[in-house]
Amino acid sequence: MNVLRGLRSARAAVQNRPTLKLALSALVWLPTAYFVLENGANVKAVRGRSMQPTLNPDDSTSSDIVLFDSFSIKFLQQYRRGDIVALKSPTDSKLIVKRIVALPGDTVKTLPPYPDAEVRIPEGHAWVEGDEPFRTEDSNRFGPVPLGLVQSRLACILWPPDRMGALGKPSVVRRDAPVGSPEWRKGKAELEREKWRNSRVTVAASTTDAPGVGTSASS
Amino acid sequence: MSFASFTARGFQAMRSFSTRRNVAQRVRHALNPRNVAAYVRSLDWREVGKGVGYWTLHMVNFGCALHLFGEHVATLSYVEGPSMFPTMAMTGELTLELKWIDPHSLKRGDLVTFISPIDPTRKVCKRVTGLPGDTICVDPTGEYAPSTEHVVIPKNHIWVTGDNLPFSRDSRIYGPVPLGLVAGKLYARVLPWRDRTVFRNTFEFID
Repeated sequence: MNVLRGLRSARAAVQNRPTLKLALSALVWLPTAYFVLENGANVKAVRGRSMQPTLNPDDSTSSDIVLFDSFSIKFLQQYRRGDIVALKSPTDSKLIVKRIVALPGDTVKTLPPYPDAEVRIPEGHAWVEGDEPFRTEDSNRFGPVPLGLVQSRLACILWPPDRMGALGKPSVVRRDAPVGSPEWRKGKAELEREKWRNSRVTVAASTTDAPGVGTSASS
Repeated sequence: MSFASFTARGFQAMRSFSTRRNVAQRVRHALNPRNVAAYVRSLDWREVGKGVGYWTLHMVNFGCALHLFGEHVATLSYVEGPSMFPTMAMTGELTLELKWIDPHSLKRGDLVTFISPIDPTRKVCKRVTGLPGDTICVDPTGEYAPSTEHVVIPKNHIWVTGDNLPFSRDSRIYGPVPLGLVAGKLYARVLPWRDRTVFRNTFEFID
């Protein structure tokens, strides 16, 4: 009886406080919210300098806030060269942000810490690199990573506002920027970096977005 | 209302409802097109839509909760294929899989499930045979690598092999598996019911 009375008074207490009532009814929808965050889209702050100058370009302590899209990775299995992805690091399972450079079947010319000069990406793996080769812990250290470690794809930058917008399209030198201006130089540098990155990759003969398909045809 | 009169009334209601003639009468009344039309006319469609929408959202929410439970706490999963014979039957078995685990606390001999390193869409089950820091012979049978080849398992990786070596694609082919791919640990066999067991770790340390 005491329990019943306690329950009744608790209910009255909730009913008398509209904010509390609202908070509790919002709590009911937590599973859906969590499901969407895990399998749909997710907002995160990116720390560190390994993706300079694409993310966190200046040396200030502020971190970029970006939107990650897990749907196209977890449901559509879309892995594309040039995409920036969040993956669990093979060395400590922490989430790291890198760029996919090569996919199964491709051949990559590696950078210094890696023991071999060239490596062929095995089935179901990818070669990931940071944009800043001196400050990054990437495939040149730990080798090709299984695609299963990839969690989500960077869809767009949300903050700071001057770099807000989608990423992943091939970059072009801005036509409206006068030759020699900072924007023009930035675009030029970005284009050259991309060209250099692509020049190190020999794409597999028959490639599709489906992982592992390219290798079976060429082996 | 006292308890006695409450139950008495309940019995009365039940008796009157269960009289066959009464039931038939009620059904005929409910199925009468004129009554059905009157009922439909009396509905407030906006309210009905609201109710159905709310109910659907709640069902979706419940589905999400179930899914999250299965992803992060525990789930029943179906294991099949020849690679874990004789521990698992080739024709498939239903097992209880624990997801709420710390991959760093895995032991040699545990049955783990993980995303296949060669196909991210597939989940596979194997037995842990090596932990970080162990030196392991890549393939004692010499099938995929010379039987003298040994590797040291790097930090945050495990070595996994199937119980049925000739029919298993495992670490002998794709090397150490990052712990980030580990999804869960098989705890018990549920179906077939007569073979139900809790999987014990049968590994013994030989000095």
